[in-house]
Amino acid sequence: MGWLTLLWLAPALGGFLVFAPGKGRAPRWVALAVSLGVLAYSFWLLAPYAPGEGGWGLEESGAPWLFGIQYHLAADGLSMVLCWLTAFLTVVCVLSSWEKEVPAGYWAAFLFLEAAVLGVFLARDLLVFYIFWEAVLLPMFFIIGVWGSDGRRKAAVKFFLFTFFGSLFLLLGILCLVTFHHAATGTWTWDMARLDGNSVPPSAAIWVLACLLIGFGVKVPLVPLHTWLPDAHTEAPAAGSVMLAGVLLKMGLYGIMRLGFGAFSDLTWQILPWLAALAAVNIIYGSVCAAVQDDLKRLIAYSSVAHLGFCVLGVLSRTPEGLAGGTLQMVNHGLTTGALFLLVGALYERGHKRGVGDFGDLVDRAPWLSVCFAISVLASIGVPGLNGFVGEFMCLAGITRVIPVFALAGAAGIVLSAAYSLPAYQRVFWGEPGPSSVSAKISDLGALDKAVLGVLLALMFWIGLCPGPLLAVIEPAAAALARAPSLGVQP
Amino acid sequence: MKEVAVPAAVWILFLSPAAAILAGLLLRAWRPRWTHWPILISCAAVTAAALSLAARVYGGDWGLDLPLGSWMAAGNWEITFGVRVDGIGAAVLAMVSFVGALIHLYASGYMREDPGFPRFMIVFHLFYLCMIGLLLSNNLAQLYLFWEGVGVASYFLIGFWTRKKPARDAALQAFLVNRVGDAGLLMAVLLLLAVFGHTRFQLMFEALPETASALIPLAAFFILWGAAAKSAQLPLYFWLPDSMEGPTPASALMHAATMVTAGIFLAARSWPLISAVPGLPALVAWVGAATAVFAGLLACTQSDLKRILAYSTVSHLGLMAFALGLGSVGVAVLHLVIHGFFKATLFLCAGNIAHGIHKSTAGVSEVGGLWKTMPLTAACFVLAAVSLAGIWPAAGFYSKDAVLHFALHGGAAFSAAGLLASFLGSFYIFRMLFLTFLGPRREQNAPPMHEPGGVMAGPAAVLAAGSLGVGWLSGSMERLLASGALSPPQAMALPPFSWEAFAAGSVPAALGVAAAWLLTTGLPSWDWDWRRNHPGLASSAASDFGFRRLAGLVPTGFMAAGGWFGRVWDKNVLDGLIEWSAEGAVLAARVGAALPAHGLNDYLWWVAAGAAVLLGAAVL
Repeated sequence: MGWLTLLWLAPALGGFLVFAPGKGRAPRWVALAVSLGVLAYSFWLLAPYAPGEGGWGLEESGAPWLFGIQYHLAADGLSMVLCWLTAFLTVVCVLSSWEKEVPAGYWAAFLFLEAAVLGVFLARDLLVFYIFWEAVLLPMFFIIGVWGSDGRRKAAVKFFLFTFFGSLFLLLGILCLVTFHHAATGTWTWDMARLDGNSVPPSAAIWVLACLLIGFGVKVPLVPLHTWLPDAHTEAPAAGSVMLAGVLLKMGLYGIMRLGFGAFSDLTWQILPWLAALAAVNIIYGSVCAAVQDDLKRLIAYSSVAHLGFCVLGVLSRTPEGLAGGTLQMVNHGLTTGALFLLVGALYERGHKRGVGDFGDLVDRAPWLSVCFAISVLASIGVPGLNGFVGEFMCLAGITRVIPVFALAGAAGIVLSAAYSLPAYQRVFWGEPGPSSVSAKISDLGALDKAVLGVLLALMFWIGLCPGPLLAVIEPAAAALARAPSLGVQP
Repeated sequence: MKEVAVPAAVWILFLSPAAAILAGLLLRAWRPRWTHWPILISCAAVTAAALSLAARVYGGDWGLDLPLGSWMAAGNWEITFGVRVDGIGAAVLAMVSFVGALIHLYASGYMREDPGFPRFMIVFHLFYLCMIGLLLSNNLAQLYLFWEGVGVASYFLIGFWTRKKPARDAALQAFLVNRVGDAGLLMAVLLLLAVFGHTRFQLMFEALPETASALIPLAAFFILWGAAAKSAQLPLYFWLPDSMEGPTPASALMHAATMVTAGIFLAARSWPLISAVPGLPALVAWVGAATAVFAGLLACTQSDLKRILAYSTVSHLGLMAFALGLGSVGVAVLHLVIHGFFKATLFLCAGNIAHGIHKSTAGVSEVGGLWKTMPLTAACFVLAAVSLAGIWPAAGFYSKDAVLHFALHGGAAFSAAGLLASFLGSFYIFRMLFLTFLGPRREQNAPPMHEPGGVMAGPAAVLAAGSLGVGWLSGSMERLLASGALSPPQAMALPPFSWEAFAAGSVPAALGVAAAWLLTTGLPSWDWDWRRNHPGLASSAASDFGFRRLAGLVPTGFMAAGGWFGRVWDKNVLDGLIEWSAEGAVLAARVGAALPAHGLNDYLWWVAAGAAVLLGAAVL
């Protein structure tokens, strides 16, 4: 058992450990200790590794098994930042739920979720990848279905079935890739860095790619496969929404970066304008839908559809800046949307409402809450100086170099993001409280919330003004993906 | 690029406002009523530093264009933070810092009693900091950073009184219209980055002759697009009059120094890029001329003091764009600087009046005959009005005369536009002057007016003196603009004095004064009668000749599209298909009820089995 295995195994074991102390407040302390430990460990493990050939840093593998299946983990810059994001957001989730009256299972679910997501980002063997991919659904299903709000049962089932439906296409796509590779070369491999879409017969290639895109597209989500997201977000508890938007959506994009485009080098170039148009639709459609939402969580959910469209544009460009920007934007979206969900969660906790029109006049009543919300909104709409701008800018810089026309979709997205975010911000925090307002119940953030949000905001400013250190981690991997004629790197 | 080290003055320009904002944030919790002290000290430091830089540029062949550090880099491009100090930058910087500092002083008096005083002063100073950063940027991407910073700060200032619905709406509108412009500027940054691999002005200008790319004309167009929104040119001007809902000091700062001039500055800064594209300068001239006349006409019909001034700003920004389009960067920047003085004075005077009646703004029906009770404000207003009308020897004459010189050489249409704008400017400002300070007080039981305290009267007086006198320095200004090792000197020259332009400037101005006098004192009720007698004309003017109705279709259409996509299509069609198919499946399952339930449980077992295999493999 190696160091990388420990990274996903530790939270998984921690999930069981949470049950050990029994009732009371002890489980949350265990959860906090484990999540903090995993965060520290992820930095200790991954930060010092200089990227080697193809941008890969650490690697770890067991003996090949049937049909070339192999327990194979590896981390490059892409995996590293997403692992850090996952570990960090798990800590944020634990801290933000600190005062909730929940049983040990709640904390365990988050640790299991962390383990599965880390596994997805570390796996290099596609079967291992797929197992982790599916394992993610379970804890999330319980987080929504058990600890969600009123419509939680339906939302949880919908989330599960919808994403499971996508996964089947993914599995089919993976199986096709592996068998076609075997047919062409005579060797079995499930290594995502060695599978080559060029061994897929041209007549089948478009179908295999479609399978993979549907599989990943449900998670991203790509319009029109997105309708599970608003429901899941609305019903999930605040911390669940943080994980859902913060890391679960990123799995789809991560998969696309690893498999979807690299494997089909020629084909994706041919249909690039269509794919980019799909991303543009994501941006515009998500924004337009977000503008009319009355529920703050639904609004943020649709805004995620739009923001992820930027990432897809960047990734599609297959330029170093587009891929690095797409990755950075995944982190950025995790931080800003995470902060927004926490703040909406704070509003909901106090007022038991989360409608855009249920508040008003909070600037003086809850100054910290409103300042943190304002800054998070500004980061989310891509105001430079904050993190969102850097990621979106690099994505657009990438696509501008390839097909400049699609930069227009990004520019339109910049306008639209302000057009759906600021009216909601104004209605909640400015103005006179309406007749149904619960503003009188809204108290300001507590010390713990202030600390958590303070760290999130500090990261937003830091990435916005000084993204260099993070980009330095991402760039070698992005450059390798941009260079590679096939997936990842040749052996 | 003669100097390698960054002079201390440049660091002061950035660090002093940043430190003052931090100090203000700390004081806000501890001593909220002291928040303005670090900020005022910072203003003084910034002004001193800016003037010293301007003196240095003026004094010799000195300029600065230095990258300071990396912002972001990927692939084969890099965006740096950097500073640039050249003739244009130093001239505008000197005006912005000086006028802005005085408005800060004024604001510390005007907003003193507001419960949000600390918040106001902090955002106010952030606004100032962003404008200074914008003027010092040596590359377009960094300029965009501060450009958006200016937009964000203006959003919070316009919407400062968050309980006032018109203020909230105006703030949103201002931000969104500006965002439309920002999107254009962002496109320009992206396109230039794709062509050059960086966005540094100096290097782009130098590389321009050897670079052939279809993207450059597009980028130049998008720069103008951004400039048009920020500088309130047609068709993106309408946010500016509405932004009058904010506190008056914010309006003064926006109009004179820190916001609307940014667009003109951007166009002047990027002029080598824009002028290289055939047809674009003419476009700028046409848009500027149309804006100047259109907004000048509307300014004549307004009945709110601050809105008259707002349309006047739009009109004068049009004149600056007009001068730019006619090929004279120097005249445009000169008018920008002089306009900053007289427009700031006018806003501070309007603020004094509004402050006297405890409102955020005053209508012409609420004032009248104020010269008796507010003689100092009246005197300041007169100086600024004379300057705005372009009457010799006030400052406005010098720049307006220069604009007219170019207009008269630009053909009949441009001559007519220049003369008409000149007449309208003189008319609306003297109409405002006469209605405000002469005649009877129109509201009988209004509270008595009085002069404000020295903190508010002082800055107005200094700025009024500036409105009178800065024009006498236009020779030095020309030298400043053309000096600095980095400026392209050819477009900086001011035209020589000519009696032709003098007459063309003075005659319409005098006619405007006379017409305003006749209509306000000869026919005292004229201003109210024409609205009553011609309701169609009045409503047309109130909707900016129908323009506002047209512009209003955009948000309505957007929300309608959102309503359809977000509520009907997304929910009933896309999601509906999925929900129906789910329900169909349930139904089918019930029909074939004998089928065993392959549900979640089986699935869980499979995942568990997979995990076990995985664990086994890991141990191996």
